[in-house]
Amino acid sequence: MRLGIVRGHVTLNLALESLRGRTLLIVEPITHENLCAANGLGGGKALVVVDLLGAAEGQMVAFTEGREAANPFWPDAVPIDACCGLIVDSIDVRQRSSISSNTTEVRK
Amino acid sequence: MFLARIEGAVVAAAKHPTLEGCRFLIAQRLEAGGIPAVGPIVVVDWFGAARGETVLVSTDGDIARLKLGNTTPARMVVVGLVDRIPTGKGALA
Repeated sequence: MRLGIVRGHVTLNLALESLRGRTLLIVEPITHENLCAANGLGGGKALVVVDLLGAAEGQMVAFTEGREAANPFWPDAVPIDACCGLIVDSIDVRQRSSISSNTTEVRK
Repeated sequence: MFLARIEGAVVAAAKHPTLEGCRFLIAQRLEAGGIPAVGPIVVVDWFGAARGETVLVSTDGDIARLKLGNTTPARMVVVGLVDRIPTGKGALA
């Protein structure tokens, strides 16, 4: 899983049946530098992630990519390649540099 | 599979039901050149890897599926703890 910050939601007009009613997030992945700096910035290339947990804008999430992202919908076949697995409360990297997902620290 | 260094832990209350009780760590993939080419990743750990430890990570989700059920989104899993890695020219940093 990679870490990212939720930047917004996507609404589809016309979509495949299997995507109807799904929550889609725009997630900005967090780079190593930004994670260590705990500056609340992402820095990665944004992507769309299916959300089953109800992540809000500004929250940090961990998302799975690849065919495993469709596992939660097993045995249905869904065209999903990124799925949110965790809503991160806090992370603890290196010595004493921890950031919290639910504070303004991670908001842009 | 690739080698990674454990950099910290993740605390998450809201998670996919199949991930309940799992230990999540932040890992940085080790590169031959020493410059991290990819961002930090979150791995599932069943070995109790400590911070700073070098681990072998598999990107195959089958072992996670086996342990956590067919509907788990887990993919990156620590499959071993590394004793030592070679040093010298081309060493992993």
